[in-house]
Amino acid sequence: MIEEIIEADVLIVGGGIAGLMAAIRAGELGTRVVVAEKANTMRSGAGATGNDHFMCYIPEYHGPDIEPWIDQSPMIQEKGNIRSRQYVCTLLKKSFDIVKLWDSWGIPMKPTGKWECTGHTIPGFPNLATLKYAGQNQKPILTREARNRGVEIINRVTVFDLLQDKSGVCGAIGTGTREEKVIIFKAKSVVLTTGICTRLYPGPTPSWMFNMADPPSTTGEGRAMAYRAGAELVNMEMPRRWAGPKYFARCGKGTWIGVVRDSEDKPVGPYVTKPDRRYGDVIGDQYASLFEERMREGRGPIYMDCRGISEEDYAYMMWGLANEGNTATINHLNEEGIDIRKNSLEFMTYELSTRGGILFNENGETSLKGLYAAGDEYFGGVGGAAIVGWFAGDNAARHAGDSKHTITDGVAEQIEEKKALLKKIRNQEIGATWQEISAALTQVMHDYAGLVRSESLLQAGLSHLLRLKKKAYKEIIAKNQHELMHCLEVLNSFDVGHLVFVSSLERKETREDYIRADYPFKNRQYDNKVVICRKVNGQPHTEWRQMR
Amino acid sequence: MPPVIEKKACTACGVCVSICPQDVFWGSERKQIPVVSYPEECWHCNACVLDCPVEGAIRLRIPFPAQICYK
Repeated sequence: MIEEIIEADVLIVGGGIAGLMAAIRAGELGTRVVVAEKANTMRSGAGATGNDHFMCYIPEYHGPDIEPWIDQSPMIQEKGNIRSRQYVCTLLKKSFDIVKLWDSWGIPMKPTGKWECTGHTIPGFPNLATLKYAGQNQKPILTREARNRGVEIINRVTVFDLLQDKSGVCGAIGTGTREEKVIIFKAKSVVLTTGICTRLYPGPTPSWMFNMADPPSTTGEGRAMAYRAGAELVNMEMPRRWAGPKYFARCGKGTWIGVVRDSEDKPVGPYVTKPDRRYGDVIGDQYASLFEERMREGRGPIYMDCRGISEEDYAYMMWGLANEGNTATINHLNEEGIDIRKNSLEFMTYELSTRGGILFNENGETSLKGLYAAGDEYFGGVGGAAIVGWFAGDNAARHAGDSKHTITDGVAEQIEEKKALLKKIRNQEIGATWQEISAALTQVMHDYAGLVRSESLLQAGLSHLLRLKKKAYKEIIAKNQHELMHCLEVLNSFDVGHLVFVSSLERKETREDYIRADYPFKNRQYDNKVVICRKVNGQPHTEWRQMR
Repeated sequence: MPPVIEKKACTACGVCVSICPQDVFWGSERKQIPVVSYPEECWHCNACVLDCPVEGAIRLRIPFPAQICYK
């Protein structure tokens, strides 16, 4: 493989919403910015062809006082005490500036001519997560804005590990997903924005592996890289699940304007009895496992029933689906002659993943000097990704400007070790494909760190996972660079899975949809605390920390 | 298998090959009609359909396991 060395002030790993916003801001500050993207930033990540809603506080819409909105933020109320008040406050205060920026760049943030927050809403209880906007072309626009600020975007390279010397993180190593090459990135600051963690658990149709609620190109590699570099991760044990049409897996239930009903047409939740664009039916947000539980209990299926929707709301919903990246779903409905004004769609609970991720603050700072993170590295959503991405870029650029960091000892050995791994995976003739190893990984996650966990299950599963990991490093093979990309994803997923197991062993309680059969109660001592996990002496070490 | 290219309509411009997030067109050659090397890795994001300059030159075929259930 040929070797290329690229130097930058700021390296951004992953060119999704957060990565491009970080790039835009860092570029604006005059630093040399490189974005390394696994696919093509024009259409990559969870915002490739649109997103659902943009979380923001708009003074002229929400009223002049921000304080009550901070406590109503989904980030405050979300499961597992995920964010500090300071984080939410900073994010919301900046949000309207970012919304206006996006609008000025040509991403229509008030496409109906006024600010409009609909869906994901409990009647009489508006929240902040619901600005409807037209995001279908957000990625080409953000790519253009990044390039306009001198950002260099390198597409089709998968970064799989960070480089660090005695002074901290100093770059990363990647390989081409098409070209046979190794790329060594040397940088003063590194921003991780690799997105959601998919393919850790089996999807809704395990035999059709890539049918996932979230994009299967994002596999939590940032989490694995950050962990290995020594950064702190948070709440890796907390499960994350969405719901949507069965079996066409796709997030976006907040855009459906209907009523969640059982097979006898009875509404399942208390919120709505007829389709209403203002609300959607928030029972699917609050109780995403509902669809699966009802099936298991023999009380399913459960449907999204849009019958009775007004023509105006129907058009609005179709527009919403198209702008959150669901045009293929619409085409499928049309091709199959499914008319949601007449037909109810069965909904299902989608795959498990982890709600946790890299611990980063409102400045995008992680626990390691020179390492930043944003977006779905830990519960971003499009609004969070855009806003904290901007802050991460700002701070990464300032750090790079102040840095006197010159790469010292130890990096050459790291590079050689990683190159040897790539060579072995590509050259070994007999071994296991990434699909085979991925099947083994997802089944152990499902069976031992799945919906219901316990000490005995977790200990047994963890032993098996670690044996599989060791064997996988020896036997995994790739016949081309595309397969090599998937091999590296799977190997990184083993580390993410490891952290899920270890963090689950730490959380000895049952809280929301995190269930420990051996601790079937909420431990109030853990209120307002999070599980932190980081590498100590080569092993994951967990501890509780007060979050607010 | 998704996506499906209408060879008579395709101008081999390469846009779909360039932008596919899953790189299902891996191995396609420049100025040639794209090959769908990894159809099972398609996520049906529809980017190739949205960005194709020729209407009808590419479409997605939704695989059997992903067919929506309804009543």
